[in-house]
Amino acid sequence: MTPMASEANPGSELLAVSRLAKSYGPIRILHDVSLNVPTRSIVGLVGENGAGKTTLFNILTGLARPDGGAMLYRGRPYAPRSYGEAFSLGVSRVFQEQSLILNVPVYENMALSQERRFTRFGQFVDRGAMIRVAEAIVEEAGLDVDVRRNAGAYDFSRRQAIEIARACLAPKHLMGIEDPLVLLDEPTSALDQQDETAFLDLLARMKRHASFVFVSHRLTEVRAICDSIVVMKDGRISGLLTPVEADEKTLHGLMVGRERAEDYYHTDEQRDVSGEPVTYRVRELSSTEFSGISFEVRAGEVLGIGGLLDSGKAALGKAVAGVRPAKSGTVTLASGAPQRPSIRRLVREGLGYVPAERLVEGIVPGFSLAMNLSLPSADKYSPYGIWRTDLEKSAARDAVQQFGIRSGSPAIPMRNLSGGNQQKVVLARWLQRDLRMLVLDNPTRGVDAGAKEEIYQHIRKLTAQGVGVILITDELAELIGLANRILIMQRGAVVAEIPAPPAGKPTEHDLIPHMLPSTRAA
Amino acid sequence: MNGNDQIMINPTRSGLLHRIAGVADRGTWLPVGVFVALVAIFSFASPAFFTWRNFAATTGEAATLLIASLGATFVILMGSIDLSVGAVVLLVGTTTVAGLKLFQGADLGPLTIPFGAFLGAALGAFNGAIIVFGRIPSFVVTLGSLSVFTGIALSILAGATIMFDSPFFDVLSLRQTIPHLPNIALWALLLWLISIFVGARTRFGRFVMLIGGGEQVARTAGIPVDRYKIYGFTVSGLTAGLAGIFAMSRLGAVGPSLGGDLLLNTLGAIVVGGTSLAGGAGGVQRTFIGVAIITVLSNGLNLVGVGPYWQLVIKGFVVIGAVLVSQDRIANLIVK
Repeated sequence: MTPMASEANPGSELLAVSRLAKSYGPIRILHDVSLNVPTRSIVGLVGENGAGKTTLFNILTGLARPDGGAMLYRGRPYAPRSYGEAFSLGVSRVFQEQSLILNVPVYENMALSQERRFTRFGQFVDRGAMIRVAEAIVEEAGLDVDVRRNAGAYDFSRRQAIEIARACLAPKHLMGIEDPLVLLDEPTSALDQQDETAFLDLLARMKRHASFVFVSHRLTEVRAICDSIVVMKDGRISGLLTPVEADEKTLHGLMVGRERAEDYYHTDEQRDVSGEPVTYRVRELSSTEFSGISFEVRAGEVLGIGGLLDSGKAALGKAVAGVRPAKSGTVTLASGAPQRPSIRRLVREGLGYVPAERLVEGIVPGFSLAMNLSLPSADKYSPYGIWRTDLEKSAARDAVQQFGIRSGSPAIPMRNLSGGNQQKVVLARWLQRDLRMLVLDNPTRGVDAGAKEEIYQHIRKLTAQGVGVILITDELAELIGLANRILIMQRGAVVAEIPAPPAGKPTEHDLIPHMLPSTRAA
Repeated sequence: MNGNDQIMINPTRSGLLHRIAGVADRGTWLPVGVFVALVAIFSFASPAFFTWRNFAATTGEAATLLIASLGATFVILMGSIDLSVGAVVLLVGTTTVAGLKLFQGADLGPLTIPFGAFLGAALGAFNGAIIVFGRIPSFVVTLGSLSVFTGIALSILAGATIMFDSPFFDVLSLRQTIPHLPNIALWALLLWLISIFVGARTRFGRFVMLIGGGEQVARTAGIPVDRYKIYGFTVSGLTAGLAGIFAMSRLGAVGPSLGGDLLLNTLGAIVVGGTSLAGGAGGVQRTFIGVAIITVLSNGLNLVGVGPYWQLVIKGFVVIGAVLVSQDRIANLIVK
């Protein structure tokens, strides 16, 4: 039944990737990527966003096909065409977002996609057998979990442990595959210190049963747990180190390609806004995903909003910008009248919005740079109904210069630009207007390190001109580095307000406890 | 390659030759090739095809189709669809001719043009308003209004064909100011040129394209998407209304079958011309060649002696084939 019941020896290569290449259109995502994963080891994979880690994982799990290079898994050529195929060979992935189904018992989650192994006479599911297997997995992983309870009964960190146990042990119990390969995609980004320790303990225990590639932005934990560390930068492997060699400074150098600027987030340019007038006032804003949100943003201030993925911060961002309607509540821009937020009116009054999903909400990939740039500025380019393509073109040329948009020209289709350059166009779109307020939702997602720093610079420049900024982001370092003040959301409400002056920036561990539900399952 | 040849010419190239090379993607030249091939085949197969007489007949036929397809192209560029074009033509033709009969004494000829344009625009706005406010797919709404408009027109006609005679209409449509080219074709050309300008150089044209290319993006940037959707359907109704007036003036009569073939022919002309059904790619400039292909195909098949039923089969396949050929461009748009 199982194609690969072979047992690999500890220390031998479980996976060998050589000279992998991948491009999307003209943009090369991976160049010549080679790496090895020995059996029963943890390989750390670090790099800035956009370095190519996700694409590498996509290739390893059959979600993308490489353009060149080869992979050997258990000594055989490996080229999965789907996640199902990769999974059937013992390769699985634990995502940032959890994939357990909450309203279903843990044991059914354990058997997910393998239900047919428990099917009797074609129709009937043998629940008893399912439960026995699930209990065996939980016990072997040393977890105190009742597999008959719904997955939703356990808190975030416990669910994550269940997921890891599943990934490491289900292949053995269900498919007879020993030593599976588990890809961990930033599993710790939403854990507090205590849970992080528990997680690393679990990983150390699970190493007897599986091999891991571990992506994390937390360099300390990578150094603590990994057997070797691979650094990626701009689609290439820029370093291969042992944990001893990998001090933070060296890692940063390899990740960013230069010594990280002392002040990546330009905190010295952060303004003291206590004397500034209020630019944006949000009063009792409510929708289905959040309720009763009130806050103020002063001229030149960066207000950061953080929280887990389901905290409601993304929905709040959309509502505050008037992109998604709010049920009740008002916003007031500058000296205007309070209004139910509507992006059309707010844009006229001087608000800009950079959405998180660039390819769906931010740009039209098939249209030219110039068209994407002029998008919200019909008032400027067609004051009398006729579209001034001459003005549009010269403005696009200026923006290419001013923002350093590489390989940019007014007529180039947006899809031919890299993520960072696309994002610069989205930002430039608003900066050519008279802005009072800018709402940013994950402005550096999928953006390379260089472009990222430039975007930070532009944000600082805007605040110097007195523009108020709301910054919603999943990246805690960015949130802390840029914001004057941080609101933490949980279940649709603001649960904490944390000041972040240049002299006294909070740490990630100061923020995370506020982001997690306080009532935890024991 | 994408269909926006107007906007997407690589600017690093210069000079006429490169400019031509820039537009020379398959989407532009394939329809032209098909047209030339059709003309060659039919000229060979039928002695009556390549004649001045037939030229005048086909251009008159093509003119109505072109006018009716102009506004509908904007709707398709928005990523929506207007199935009611033929029904608007019939309803406008019917009400106009009924009005003319009612006030037989007065010479109302010239007034029919603004009347038709206005009535058509109102019917289109009706479609657009339901689509936007009811949040119903345009496919369903215009399928419904197709039935509503046709039903009203047929009950006015009560099954009869109404004939009329007016010197104004002769001058408007049939007279050949340029030898062998009926005036109706000149009007169609003029309206086509205006539509190209509207598509390429106005706020309306730009927003229509943006809505088709990325409705979500347009909304997120504060563009009044709903309003422009209604405008789009209004323009579609307007050109359909004008097509109704020109069709009746050319035929000198309005009967139950007026506009009946426009449902397939307008959509066919638009997609055969190379405008993507997904929206955001193509343009009204392309619809011209699509109209030429569809008209020559009908006309040629007639002359060769293919019966009307088999013509339906062939035309249906041509439309499906055109969508198939343009499919990879759509995929390109979606892939990244």
